[in-house]
Amino acid sequence: MRTCDSHECSQLNELKIDMNALNMLAGWTCNGNTIMIEQMPIFGGYCGMVEETAICDVATTLASFTLFSGNFHLDGPIHIRWGTTTARETLQVAGHAAAAIDANTDLLLANQYYPMAGPCTEMCLLETAAQAITDTASGRELLSGSAAAKGVVQDKTTGMEARIMGEAAKATAGMKIPEVNKLLNKIVSDYEKHYTNAPAGKTFQECYDVKTVKPTAEYVQVYDGALKRLRDYGLDIKH
Amino acid sequence: MAATRPLTVCDVYDRFMKGKKVAEDKWDYEIIPQNATRLKEKYKLNFGNKFVPEDKATMDNLFNAGLEMLVETGFYCQDNNRVMNVTEEEVWEGIKKTPTKIILGDGRDAARFYPRHGNSPVKPIIQGGPTGSPISEDVFVQVMQSYAQEGIVDTIVNGVLTTIEGHSAKTNTPYEIRATMTELRSVREACVRAGRPGLAM
Repeated sequence: MRTCDSHECSQLNELKIDMNALNMLAGWTCNGNTIMIEQMPIFGGYCGMVEETAICDVATTLASFTLFSGNFHLDGPIHIRWGTTTARETLQVAGHAAAAIDANTDLLLANQYYPMAGPCTEMCLLETAAQAITDTASGRELLSGSAAAKGVVQDKTTGMEARIMGEAAKATAGMKIPEVNKLLNKIVSDYEKHYTNAPAGKTFQECYDVKTVKPTAEYVQVYDGALKRLRDYGLDIKH
Repeated sequence: MAATRPLTVCDVYDRFMKGKKVAEDKWDYEIIPQNATRLKEKYKLNFGNKFVPEDKATMDNLFNAGLEMLVETGFYCQDNNRVMNVTEEEVWEGIKKTPTKIILGDGRDAARFYPRHGNSPVKPIIQGGPTGSPISEDVFVQVMQSYAQEGIVDTIVNGVLTTIEGHSAKTNTPYEIRATMTELRSVREACVRAGRPGLAM
């Protein structure tokens, strides 16, 4: 790896770490490597509810830089019941924690994506867009994803989810925050009612021609459908 | 009192070795929840139905609550069950030492990683990839290429190979290392196939 690539090291939940992590960090700091430190606070876990989880999120983010010599922090507040980062409460945690740190420091902040639905579904694309909108509006500098189907099902991630993440972020950049909050309420209200019957989606092999690495006509159509829904909700997304 | 210097990783190790012994379940079930709740009440935090705060007071109160959480609670080492502490001044020294501008990737594929501040009109960096999701060996390069070829993507985050040469990439085995090295080569190959060999991973 080059020094312009980044190494990843994870904290443990909550406000914990182990010696293995320190050993890796000792090597990377000597080498001048770029270091990303990850921590995914659990909403509904040891911390408690939304505000308490956001407090722990800010604390662990600051620790990444000041205790562990990280160069950027990869967040990922996760819902204890749903195992996703795109739930209403986890978006609130991420949005508030990032805005708080952004308003008081120049630290570089990232977030990672674990939607519930699988690829080739409008729900997956809407979940991803909602988090991209939250992360962009709250001042984060890097969006990392997306691990569709909660990141646990083999081959259920594709480049199309990253496309919606990027396009939603681009369309959000510069919007006024009260408008962003209204928009997010509409999008999240759309998909959160499907949590108990979320579509499993399709595998990469079913979403793309594996030889040409082109998405299927079906996925392009689903993508267009998600864009239309986002435009109808008020996001000025171009392509 | 002013900090003597920003903490290094070895300073943190030393403090863990000398720190107070605390049972892990006490940390998880008492110290963390009690301190978080106390600070929520002290700073009167209530996010209501907002996803992103609209007022500076909420941002500042949450920041101060988080800073106080770190300073008053400390950090826990799972291996020796000890707690290290850090002062507020040391936290600020660490923040000052952290680079605020990083270049990810190289050549024409480099991405500039700079602070945005608020909802700046500047789009964030888009790091595309499966973010640690399990990926089959036979389509790993193609999956990674599907991200690298997206114009909106600026850097790559890799998935995880489930097997290597047909063997499970089990943790703490030589296969884990072989799988990791293969992931690195495969991501590089995917970036080359997408015409963007300099993308950061």
